Order: sequence, then C-alpha cells, then structure tokens
Amino acid sequence: MISLWRDMNRRGQVVLVVAVLAMLLAPVVATRYLLSVLTLILYFVYVGQAWNLMMGYAGQLSLGHALYVGLGGYVAAGLWVHFGIGPWLGVIPAVAIAAAFGAFIGWLAFRFGIEGVYFSLLTIAFAEFTRIGFDHIGPLGGAGGLFIPYQESRLGEWWNLRGGQLFFYYLAFVLAGAAVLLTAWLARSRLGHQWMAIREDETAARALGIDVFRAKMKAVLISSAMTAVGGVFYAFYYNNLFPAQVFEMSRSIELILGPIVGGLGTVFGPVIGAFVLTPLGELLIAVTDKAGLNAPGAKAIFFGLVLMIIIYLVPGGVWPWLSRRLGLVRRRS
Amino acid sequence: MRLETRVRPSRRQVLGGAVAAGAMLAAPAVVRAQAKALKVAVLLPRSGLLAAAGQACHRGAVVSPKVLADFGYAVELINVDFESNVDVARTQTERAIAEGANCVVGAFESGATLAIAQVCEQRQVPLVINIGSVPQLTEQGYKYLVRNFQTNPQLVSGGLRLVKDLMAATSVPFKNAVFVHANDTFGTAQRAAMDRLFPAAQMPFPLLESIAYDPKAQDLAVEVTKIRALAPELVLVTTRSSDAIKLVRDMVRQRFEPKAIVSPGSPGLYDEEFYQALGPLADFHLYNLPWANPKAQMTQALAAAFKTAHPTNRFEVDCFNAGFTFEGIMVAADAFKRAGSTDGKALMEAVKATNIAEHVMTGGPIQFDEKGQNNNIQAAVVQNRNRTPTVVLPPEIAVSAPVLPMPSWQGRS
Repeated sequence: MISLWRDMNRRGQVVLVVAVLAMLLAPVVATRYLLSVLTLILYFVYVGQAWNLMMGYAGQLSLGHALYVGLGGYVAAGLWVHFGIGPWLGVIPAVAIAAAFGAFIGWLAFRFGIEGVYFSLLTIAFAEFTRIGFDHIGPLGGAGGLFIPYQESRLGEWWNLRGGQLFFYYLAFVLAGAAVLLTAWLARSRLGHQWMAIREDETAARALGIDVFRAKMKAVLISSAMTAVGGVFYAFYYNNLFPAQVFEMSRSIELILGPIVGGLGTVFGPVIGAFVLTPLGELLIAVTDKAGLNAPGAKAIFFGLVLMIIIYLVPGGVWPWLSRRLGLVRRRS
Repeated sequence: MRLETRVRPSRRQVLGGAVAAGAMLAAPAVVRAQAKALKVAVLLPRSGLLAAAGQACHRGAVVSPKVLADFGYAVELINVDFESNVDVARTQTERAIAEGANCVVGAFESGATLAIAQVCEQRQVPLVINIGSVPQLTEQGYKYLVRNFQTNPQLVSGGLRLVKDLMAATSVPFKNAVFVHANDTFGTAQRAAMDRLFPAAQMPFPLLESIAYDPKAQDLAVEVTKIRALAPELVLVTTRSSDAIKLVRDMVRQRFEPKAIVSPGSPGLYDEEFYQALGPLADFHLYNLPWANPKAQMTQALAAAFKTAHPTNRFEVDCFNAGFTFEGIMVAADAFKRAGSTDGKALMEAVKATNIAEHVMTGGPIQFDEKGQNNNIQAAVVQNRNRTPTVVLPPEIAVSAPVLPMPSWQGRS
C-alpha cells in the first residue's frame, strides 16, 4: 500500500485521493441508474483484478474464470436457501470449494506440463463440465435455476447481504478497493516478483531457484478464491443463478476484458478497463435506443469497433498510456 | 462614495418565492401523477442469444400504442434492448425508470426478469411479465410483479390435455409416446414438469422414455436412432427452432414417421427459420400453446397494424411473442386508465384488479391471483399448414380441422 502510494508522484496521489473521495460520495449526487452502473463497474474491477493476478502477473491464461464465480455463488446461495446459513459464513465454504477446484485444475496442468493454450483449454473445459454438472443438481435447481427468495422484511439485513442498491454499491466499493490493495501488496511481495519472473521466462525463473509449481499454484488458489467472493456478491445481488448464464464462456470473456483493455499486470489496469468498458456499453445502448436503431447486434458491432480502436491505439492497455500521458507515476531512472 | 444597489427582499417576497419554488419542485410529481399517457418501458432481449424471440416481441410492442389508442388506451413506450444479459437488464431498468417509465413490461427470459423485478420492487414500479415460464417468478413474494403467461407446469398440463382433445377430434389413437427435449434451462424444466404431470394427466397411452439432447450438437442422429428403436406413434418434443430443424432432418434421413410430432408447450416448430430450412417438411407438426385467437376483434386489429408496420414479417408466425407483449402493455395501459394516476402504488393496485375480457391470446379474461399469476390462459392446438401456423383446436376458435396422422415425408411438395 505504502509502496503503491510512493510509486505515484504528487499529481498521481491527488488524482487517487480525489477518485476515492468521488466514489465514496457518489451516492450523494448519483441517480440510482448511475449507482447501478457504478456497482457493476466495481464488480468488474474486483473480478478483473482477481483474474489479473493469475494472467497479468503469473502469466497463466484462464478462459474459464466464470467457473469460480458460479461455484462461489452457488455454494453460498445454496447454503442460504436450504440451511439458512448467511453469506458471510457461506463465503467460507464457497471460497474453499472454488479454491479446491482451482487447486485441482492447477495441479493437473502444472504437474503434467499443460501450458499456454492447452492450459486455457483446460480451464474452459472445467467451466463447461461444471455447467453441465450443475444442470443436473436437483437441490440447486438444476438447469431451471436457483432462486434466493426476495423478502422485503429482510431488506435491511446487511449481515445477510439483503440490501438495496446503496448497500451493494458500498459493498462492491469495499471489495474493489480491497482487491486493488491486495494486488498492489502482492505485486511488490516476493511472490509477486516470482510470478513476474515466471511470466517473463519460466525456464529462467526455475534456473534462479524459484519453485515454479508452488508459485503458480498460489496464483491459481488466490485468484480462484477471490473470484468466488465475487460469485457470492453476484448471487446475492441478482438473487438468481442459472448454470447456463453463470458458467457461460461469454461470462469469462466479459470478466477478462477489463484487465486486457486497462492494462495487464498493472494494479490500476483492471480499474481503468472496467471504467472504460462498462460505461461504454451503457452509452452505446442509450445511443442506439435513442437513434431508434433496432438492428440486432448493432451495439455489439460498435462495441467491438471501439475495442479494436482502443487496442490498436494503446496495445499495452489504457492505464500505462494514461499514467504516462498525465504524468501520474514517478519516472524511474 | 459607495452606491448602495442591493435591495433587501421583504418577508412577503421570500414567502412568495418559497411557495413558487416549492410548486416548481413539486410540479414533476403532480404532472407525473396526472400524465395523459402511461410511459411503459419494454425490456426485451433484442440482441444476443435470445434475439430472435426478443425481436418478435419487439415487433408486437412497436405497434401496440397505435392499436391500443384505437381501443381507448394511451401509452408511450421506452424500448430497451437488454442484450440477453442480466447485468444490462438491471442497469437498463434503472435507466428506463430514471427516464420516467411508470411501468415495465418484459422480459422473455426468467433470470433477467428477476433482476428487473428487484429494481421494480425497490422503486415501486409495476412489472408485467409478457413471457417467462419459471414458476418461481410469482413465488418469490414480489409485490410489484404480475405474469400474463403460463408457468411450465401449466404449459405442459395444458399441452397434454390438448393431446387428448386432438385424439378425440380426429379419432386417431396413439399407442405410445416418447418425450424428446433439449437439456437447456427450458427443456429441463419441461422435463421435470412432464415427469410429474404425465402420470397425473392419465393419458391413454404410456410414455416409453424421455430422451434429452444437447441443443448445441451438430446433428441428432443418435437421438433419432434411439427414438426409432422405441417405435413410438407420438413424439412429444420440447425444442428451439435450430434443434427442431436437426430433429426433423434426422427423422427424414432415417425414414422415421410417427403419427404425429407434438410440442406440448414449447416453441421451435413455428419459427420462420424452421419453415425456411425445412420447406414442406415443416408442415403438419403440432404445438399446444397459448396462441393469438384468430377470431378475436383485437387480434385482427393487431394483425392489421402488424402487417402495415412490418411488411416483411408474418403476424401468424410472430403472434405468440408479439401477442403476449401487446397484452403486457395493454394490462399496464388498462390499469392506468382505471387508476387515473401513474403513482406506482395506485397503478399496481389497479394492475392486480385487472379484468380484461376482450384481448388477443386464447383463454378467459386477464385476471391475476394474489401472487400475480394469470391462471385463465388456455392453450390451443396449432398445426403448420403451408408453412403457416394454423389454429385447429378448440373448435370455437379453429380456422381449420387438424390433419392426423401426418402425411409421409415422401411426396410432400
């Protein structure tokens, strides 16, 4: 945290403080619509950051991260619906189960030398297996979905994640903030440096004496556990889970777009990515609706075009470019 | 020397100003409550995975204000595409309400509908579900939600009952049946309903087996071989159009000809895509679903407006999606007419007290029970004839007699 602060120059520190204050005070001025968009942004900051640890720092491309969102959500929601166990307690088994899945995938891949695109395929395969499996788990609703009852009388029960838009906004803010701080700390830790060494050249890292298997396993474990917490948030925010939606490949892609656009392997990349992509999507919907444009997929085409332009102009991500342009970080000699 | 130009306002002026300011601030609420037309946000999946159905619903929505105006209702629409995405559904509901929507209609898909329902509940804005069959939608305790559509069990039980009616009307008995369904959300829910309801329906033939398939499979040859081995006279199906095409193609390839292929409450057999891909092979399939009553005056008005607005689309094909979306908007408009206010609470009370006898879809008057479910919707038997959905039962609304057994695949022109 301190090193993150020290890495910024005076201007960067002022921008950070203003941004945090603005987010804290946003509910005072923001409409409910804006607040719901901000909540979504913060959710994507959080899960994007979790994925960023694994890909951005450790260099392990997971394309099935929706698996952990789904597992986290289903475990916590299932415990709440069937046993009345609140999500603050439910999050513990949710994280444990997701981390166990992550550990198994990691062990399978790293122990048997499944790397690169093959590792990515393995992560997709596990997400798909699990989706099909959950389609047939009767107590969790199967393909018909799991529903968390909406009870107006329990709306104030923040300890059971039963709250309104404001509550979920601040919860997402805390999660996103914690994820940023954790990433900043890990990036500067011994483990973070090991990850970066592995990302750059695994053989060289091994030659330097780094226990590559252990370091990569830690990346998968931390990332899957963090993502599962995002899944608990998702389940209690939307109050319903369908395997076809929550484990879907498109969900995984949605989750990783922010860090890619924002800047992989940077602390603020996923933050900037989420702040660019989610409002862009909302803006394009509003514009196409106002223009009366009813061609299916028109928005997706515009979105894709804008994404291509961003990636073409700033291939290293928006954050590294922006921080250089605005002079937000200290120049290293 | 300093010129004194400031004038101190008197107490009366301050009081007058405060009253004026208060009136200005209160005006939007008063204007809202006395609005002449109801602003209805219609949230549909017009792009993404469910785009085809969402577009069909949308076509019904865009002609609704004009048709409803002819029947004395005033509505303005805010059309929103939520891209078959739950996140977008939630944020766009907030946007629509912020833009002044007094009521929401949607959303075809159950997950998105529940996301919308939470926003509506918190904002006290009525939500009228046009299409969405998951029973839990009306079992979650939402106070600002009603559903003008059948639940999965209602769809299946209504569909099975009509199979009996079909047998009676044509005097063609079935010795046995097989149920084939996609293993997606809808298909699995239909299977659960079928497992529970088939024995209770006391059908005059046994259900030999239920066969699930992956709708993403390249072909359904294995499944059709399995069905063929069982030699059923009736094949009950729950499909979407793309897999219905694969199913029929493989049946033709394997020369498997049951007496009838009937969908007891699912889409797939009446999409334009199905007709175009299969040509004459798309004919004579049957589906037991709530349908637009071809003899109702309002259906004819909606069909006429639809043809003018969408000359390249057929109302007969779109009428299921378009009809229910139209009815959803009508429920909201009718409640507004009775309530005389756009206030959420008053509007919702009026929605719950809905009693509309003259409407588009088959069944009795639109009324909602204490949970917000309309239990008066009735299914009809619809058969593809010359690649056009044609109501063949019940007799009072039928425009043609059912053809059973269906003619052989060979020799169809």
